[in-house]
Order: sequence, then structure tokens, then C-alpha cells
Amino acid sequence: MVKVNCVAMLLAGGKGSRLNSLTQNLAKPAVPFGGKYRIIDFTLSNCTNSGIENVGVLTQYQPLLLHSYIGIGSAWDLDRKSGGVTVLPPYTESSQVRWYSGTASAIYQNFNYLEQFDPEYVLILSGDHIYKMDYSEMLDYHISRNADTTISVIEVPWDEANRFGIMNTNENMEIIEFQEKPEFPKNNLASMGIYIFKWSVLKDYLERDNENPDSSHDFGKDIIPLLLQEKKKLIAYPFSGYWKDVGTVSSLWEANMDLLKEDCELNLFDYDWRIYSVNPNQPPQFISETAVVAESLINEGCVIEGEVRESVLFQGAHIGADSKIVKSVIMPDAVIGKDVYIERAIVSPSVRIPDGTHIYPDDDSNEVILVTEDYLQWKKAQ
Amino acid sequence: MNKSILGVIDATTSNVSLEPLLTHRSLAAVPFGGRYRLIDFILSNMVNSGIHSVAIFPKYQYRSLMDHLGSGKNWDLNRKRDGLFFFPSPSFEAELSGIGAFNHFSHHIDYFERSKQEYAVISNCFTVNTMNFQPALEKHIQLGSDITELRHHAKSLQMYILKTSLLIDLIKTRKRTDFTCMRDVVESSTHNYKISRYEVPGFAKMIDSIECYYDMSLSLLDPSTWKELFMKDYPIYTKVKDEPPTRYSNGAVVKNSMVANGCVIEGHVENSIIFRGVKIGKGAVIKNSIIMQKSTIGSNCSLDAVILDKDVKVESGVSLIGKHDHPLVLQKGSTQGALMSS
Repeated sequence: MVKVNCVAMLLAGGKGSRLNSLTQNLAKPAVPFGGKYRIIDFTLSNCTNSGIENVGVLTQYQPLLLHSYIGIGSAWDLDRKSGGVTVLPPYTESSQVRWYSGTASAIYQNFNYLEQFDPEYVLILSGDHIYKMDYSEMLDYHISRNADTTISVIEVPWDEANRFGIMNTNENMEIIEFQEKPEFPKNNLASMGIYIFKWSVLKDYLERDNENPDSSHDFGKDIIPLLLQEKKKLIAYPFSGYWKDVGTVSSLWEANMDLLKEDCELNLFDYDWRIYSVNPNQPPQFISETAVVAESLINEGCVIEGEVRESVLFQGAHIGADSKIVKSVIMPDAVIGKDVYIERAIVSPSVRIPDGTHIYPDDDSNEVILVTEDYLQWKKAQ
Repeated sequence: MNKSILGVIDATTSNVSLEPLLTHRSLAAVPFGGRYRLIDFILSNMVNSGIHSVAIFPKYQYRSLMDHLGSGKNWDLNRKRDGLFFFPSPSFEAELSGIGAFNHFSHHIDYFERSKQEYAVISNCFTVNTMNFQPALEKHIQLGSDITELRHHAKSLQMYILKTSLLIDLIKTRKRTDFTCMRDVVESSTHNYKISRYEVPGFAKMIDSIECYYDMSLSLLDPSTWKELFMKDYPIYTKVKDEPPTRYSNGAVVKNSMVANGCVIEGHVENSIIFRGVKIGKGAVIKNSIIMQKSTIGSNCSLDAVILDKDVKVESGVSLIGKHDHPLVLQKGSTQGALMSS
């Protein structure tokens, strides 16, 4: 096999429990986003656009849809004869089933996958963030700084810094301290969960971490602190573009709304950095005589007879006459009846909303309503 | 169990009236319906009827057709056994006459002889409809026909069903019989073949002139036509593109229109078909028009009864008005500047 320089390991086993029922039967990376994509499309497209042709996708939670979605990787041009995309679910060894107990254990248990390439570098990614990034630039930076580990960081708002892993660096961007979700952050440079390791270093630490019974086998909690403690060279790679962790219903909604902004930083129309996706085979969208559409992103296969404002519609969504959709996300194949009003909501895939239903948050609440069959049952009972 | 059928698409046809759209492509590859090419309909019908081996016989300007079809992957025709075959005419001089020109077929007789399918469907490449060939074949067998001509409203659709072995005979004996194509056989009375007709249900239209192309395109906006063409169980496949969803700006006004992905719409669009990746500027008004892929229309333009081929650029403020019975056609890649039209 041709010696490969850098192999990407994409962690896609996330349960995404804060997305409530959206992830009941679906791993978080497979959650629909932006009218036609799934969250994982962004990371996979970044890999393709960065020239990384060997990508291991580590799955665990609700993998069926994710596996069939990724397939052999042809949607992202990752169906290569040598390498390409490889889905890596947990498996049993002769004596035991090895579930991925943490991010580091997930990588460790796919040692064989990495060994076959014997790469110089390993890029570790998470499949649940929305961003565009050229990993080859980060790799160049990693190489030029001769780092053992490079961690991509982004400035987050100070009042949100306590939700993230915070990196404290010196003036050379060397990481001197790492605080996981600190109550009082010293800095607002948050880890984006993107790491590049020298394989030789990663191998050593993964093996030691595996032996350690007290470890939770997690990069943020165990591996990074140990590297720091042992004075390895950890460098922060500053990233300044659009980046969003869409871990909650409201952040998922916000990220969708971001796409509607006139000056949206995440340009989906940039043909030099396409976001690839499995393209559903759908006829063009049909906008009827009675429709009104403004400030929206609408995918093929939609039929619109009502009014749609500041909203994102996925394929196969149907909006009935005299209905009004405002500031909402309508997921694939959701059917909205007539005379319906929906504001600030995410309508789950394939949900049918009966004629005359009104859904909107209380006057002064910042809530985003997740509309599911259960929600509709509950609302009917009210 | 499906009876096995061989699919044969004659993509040699050209048509004078459609010429402005045919300078760089064959009729089979003419863009249609926002994201399709004409050939997608017959090809999808074949695939949806369980046909796994399809041969395409093109003659002129087939680069864009080959680019569109590729390995056949989008139609599930990239197969180890059978699949999609492409048989260009061996010479431009070779005479053509009608659907299923036997002379062209004769150069690729091996394909027919090697095929294991008992029956063959021979079709033109410019019919827009959604159908299944199996019921027609059932009827063909039931009646003990030699050749079945598919019809719509009692007019030939230029689609034929016959045994592959009979097709091979017809090709091989063409010099003696003087039959040059399927129509010759069907219309002749000098043979003893049993010819039947089969009426194809639903909607069907052959695109044989610019006016027909224009009317047919706009009739897609009629929900009843739409429903007959785009059925869930019989999807029309095409080459997929990684276009983002279409973006409507704050000032957009869109009514009674079909819009494909990757467009940015800031103006007013009414009663029109908008293909993938089209940009329509602020204050522009587009009515009764067909705007093909990647065309851009500047701000404050006014278009009515116009067909813009791919990559046409209309500069800001330009007004282009065609007639509803005679639409104005702008050729691929052309630019319509404010100075030019004044």
C-alpha cells in the first residue's frame, strides 16, 4: 500500500442527547441540516476538499442510517480503490465486546486500521460541527511548528466559554494549560475538537492510556492533560471562520437561521469548496400561484402553496395553502396542512401537521419548539 | 417476474425547429424541466420497467450526451452484467431515416446477438412521459404480436416492442426488404408480421419543435401534468449535482414556477421554469420563460416568453420580449448587454 501522510479519524458515534427526539433513532452526525445536508457532510466534504483521501468514520450510536448514508463514500468522492472512507463500528474480540468508552478508546480500538497505513500524522475530527476548514493548512502549520499535537481553536464569546475546552497559550501559540469546561475561564480560545497528532506520539499515548484503569479514555479529559503534563509540544491553531457546535435544538435552529443571513460566513454557494451530500433524486421545487417565499432556503422536491419567510425547507416538504411558516426549519418530507401557522420551530422529518394547527412560542420566550408526532399529540390533548 | 427486455434508444434524431438549442448538443441532451435532459425520461422509464441493458445510438454532437450519462450510475446502469452501452454512428455520412435506423444498428449487430433478453423496446429519445413497458409487453405476448407500436391518443409514439431475434432479422435483411427503420416495417403492407397498437396511458408528448418544447415546459406548471410525470414509484433519474438549496432573498416574488437547486432569486419570477444555478437580480421580472442552467439575469431586467440556453448572461436593465407562440431563444453562452438591445 502506498504510504499515506495523513489519515483522518472522524468520530461519529455521538448520541446527541440534547437534540431530544431528533436523535432518538439517529446518530447526531446524521441529523439533517441546511435544507439538504446532514451534519457529517461538512466534515467529510472538508476532508475531500483538503485532499485527505483516507477517512475512518467511527460509529456506535444508532448506526444504521449513518452507515447506509455514508455507503462507500461516493457522494464525497471517497470511494477510492486504495483507502477512501471506511466505516469503523465497534466489534467483538474473542473474549469481549469492545464498546467505544471514550474518544481515545475509539481510536485505540482501531489501531489496526491506522497501522495498515502507517501514516506520519493522524487527524482527529468530530462529526457534529458545522464549518468549512482546509485541514491541509492546519497540517502544514503542524509540520512547520514541529508540534507533537496541534489543536484547532476558535475564539468564542466570553459568556459561552464555560461550555468549551479552553486553551491557554503563550505568545507562540504553545498550549500551556487546558481547562475542560471551566467555571472561570482565563481565555476564550475554545478547542474545536480537531487534533493533529504525530502518529508515533499518539500511538504511545493511546497505548499507555489503555493500560490506565483510572482513565476515562477521552482526548479532552485524559490524553491532552497527560501530554501537557509530560511537556510535549502542543500548539494551538487559530481558526477564524464560521464554526458551530449544533448540539442543542436551539443551536441547530440558529445555525440554520445563520444560513439565511445576507452576509452568511458559511457560503454554501462557493463552488471552490462545495459541501457534498447524498443527492436525493427529486423534481424541482414547485412554487404555486398562491405562494409567497422570501428570505428562505428551499430544496428540490418541495411543493409550496402557502407563505414561507426566514425558513429552511428540506426536500419533499409540502406547505399547504393559507399556511404561514416563519423562522422555522422544515425537515424532509414533512407535510404541513392548510391554514397552519408555525414560528420558531423545527418540524421533524415526515411529520404531518393537521389543517389549522398553530405553533409558536410564548411571547417573550426564546424557545425553539421541536415539533414531533409526540408534540402534536400533546398539543391536541391540551 | 419481469419478462426480460433490451432497451434501445435511438438518439440520432435532430430537428430543424429546435436548432437554436442543438448547436452544441443532440436532441437527447436538450435540458428540460428544470434539471433534466430529454433522454432522462425514456431512460428512467426503461430502468423503472426493469430493463437492465440499454443501448444508446447517437450520431451528432454527442459529447454533452456522454457527459450527462457517464457510466450510467445515476440510472443504476453501471453494471458488471449488462448496463449502459453507447454506440455512436461509424460515420457522419451514413444515411439516417426514422427511429431505429437499421443501418446504424447493423454496425453494432454484435450487441444484439450477444444480448440474452428475449424482447427489445426501440424508442426515440425525445418523448416526455412516465410509463412502464411491462404492461405493453404483456399485451404484446397475449396478442401473439410480432411488433407492437406504442401510441398515445392514437398517434405513434415512435416506440416499438418486438422480439430481439426479429429485430436482428430485420437489421440483417434490410437491403433485401428495403426497410430502413422500424416505421418502414410498421407502415408497410408487404410482409406478414402481425402488428398491434398499444395505447400508452397517462401523459405523453414528443418534443419536435421549439414551440412544442416551450408549451410542454410551461405545461409542467399545471399540477395535473406534474402529477402524471413525477410519480413517487417511477422517479425520473438524472445526473445529480451538488448544488445547495435555492436561496430566496427578502425581495423575491415567485409564483407558479418550478425552480431547481443552486439558484439565488432576488427578483420576480412568474409562470417560469428555472434550472440549476441560475441567478436572478433585484428588480428583474421574469415571466413565461425558461431559464437554463447557470444563466445570470442582472437587476431590473424584464423577460417575457424567452428561452435562455445555458450560461447566458443578461446584463442589468435589459428587456427581452418574445411571443407566446414564438418564444425568443438566446443561444448557450451568449451575452445580452444593455447596449446591444438599445
